[in-house]
Amino acid sequence: MSALTQWLRDPSPQSRLQARLGQSFMGWLRFRRNPLAMAGLAVVLLLLVVAAFAPWLAPYDPIAQNLKLRLLPPLTAGHPLGTDDFGRDILSRLIMGSRITLFIITLVAVTAPLFGMLVGTIAGYFGGWTDEILMRVTDIFLAFPKLILALALVAVLGPGMENAVLAIALTSWPPYARVARAETLTVRNSDYIAAVRLQGAGAARIIWGHVMPMCLPSVIIRVTLDMAGVILIAAGLGFLGLGVQPPMPEWGAMISAGRKYLFEQWWVATMPGLAIFIVSLGFNLLGDGLRDVLDPRNSGK
Amino acid sequence: MALIEIENLSVTFTAKGRKVRAVQGVSLSVNERESFGLVGESGSGKSTILRAICGMAPITGGTIRIGGQPLPTPRGRAFSRQVQMVFQDPYASLHPRHTIDRTLSEPLAIHGLADTDARVVQALKDVGLPAAFRFRFPHQLSGGQRQRVAIARALMLEPSILLLDEPTSALDASVQAETLNLLNRLRTERGLTFLMVSHDLAVIDHMCDRVLVMQHGRAVEELARETLAAAGMTTDYARSLFAASADRMLET
Repeated sequence: MSALTQWLRDPSPQSRLQARLGQSFMGWLRFRRNPLAMAGLAVVLLLLVVAAFAPWLAPYDPIAQNLKLRLLPPLTAGHPLGTDDFGRDILSRLIMGSRITLFIITLVAVTAPLFGMLVGTIAGYFGGWTDEILMRVTDIFLAFPKLILALALVAVLGPGMENAVLAIALTSWPPYARVARAETLTVRNSDYIAAVRLQGAGAARIIWGHVMPMCLPSVIIRVTLDMAGVILIAAGLGFLGLGVQPPMPEWGAMISAGRKYLFEQWWVATMPGLAIFIVSLGFNLLGDGLRDVLDPRNSGK
Repeated sequence: MALIEIENLSVTFTAKGRKVRAVQGVSLSVNERESFGLVGESGSGKSTILRAICGMAPITGGTIRIGGQPLPTPRGRAFSRQVQMVFQDPYASLHPRHTIDRTLSEPLAIHGLADTDARVVQALKDVGLPAAFRFRFPHQLSGGQRQRVAIARALMLEPSILLLDEPTSALDASVQAETLNLLNRLRTERGLTFLMVSHDLAVIDHMCDRVLVMQHGRAVEELARETLAAAGMTTDYARSLFAASADRMLET
């Protein structure tokens, strides 16, 4: 055992930094014991690497068309995953599309839960009129079908990837608000909140530092469950011409383009579908493992 | 002049149209450096008085003065530096996701006090916990250790008044005695004023100079420690409370 791991495992750390690093290290050890979570991490890391080096990894230009080579089946020499209806290499398009997918997922997974949690904890903490108003607004957002609302927003903002992300984020926060509010209601009257209030803490400090950490686990679970849905809504917007615009290799848009050939040339829609499936599975597994690690109550074991 | 003066205090909770009068016309006064006890069975309103002082219960009548000044609503930061509270259940009063270090440094951060590290280490030492506990989570501590952390937290802002809401009822007997002795030591060292709630006359006898017996939200009888020890109470209710815990009082 090296001096570093010894230092990290020190049961009585000397400084705040050592304590925090030690906790992260123990968390990592626990995470490593969970093979499914490690598989999820591997998938997500692979996605990151592929996205980072996409231009060098892609064998062909993902946009260049070659109609002589259209709809080649998988395992054709030079095109391991086949080509689509314009003769573009599907593998190259998947690799380049990982960037767009990652961009959409990251932005939505950061903004929507954060906003939802803010709304939910504020509503739950203050109660009364604040709660009524915020939750009725949440209800209005929930009452619309997600895709329709996203459509309306994109129609107002104009088509494009950024606006699609914004629209998806704006439509997917209400469930997080609901979850966060429910958690807040269970902790707001607890003694530890009363204690910090008695110490003179303001509402912002209590909500951010004391209530939100209690809501985090349930919100993280929801985020990982919603990942696949986010990719699909982005795809739906792309399909309707309001999200990522056609020549761009976005996975969802590729599925909708392949829909026309689903019975004769199945691979055109199946390959991006598989990619979405693997990535969402990876995020789900990773999220499950993270949730176990993030709960300090498990760390004693 | 008394440090805490409560005059004719009434607290009424309203839940779903029904009114519950938890405290009705209770008056008491606690001198500086005194330890004052409130006893009574469950639901007699003793904890509610502490919560009313902290602004966590709806006061519907009467006044509370501390150091001669009526309390502001909301209580404000000056109040936090003067009055702190130790809660009954140490399993519920520490944030489960904050380390002991975070729990103890939070009041310092709120009030912008410097020297966090030194103060936290000193606070742990004062309540008899090893410094190694500093970065642990509450679930890694026993009930008695948690209550010591809760006491340390209450003392971080160096208040002059400590409200104790049955601070030992969730602990087992041997740990109870340790915790009570710790509280007594801190009181003499720092010249604190205690207002302590308990349903256990043995605990009150060990800790308090004067006791107010409560029943159904009303004050029944006020007793000095000598009267309590000599069983010189004048009301039947106080006598029956005394009879229930008399055998254990002889042990202490």
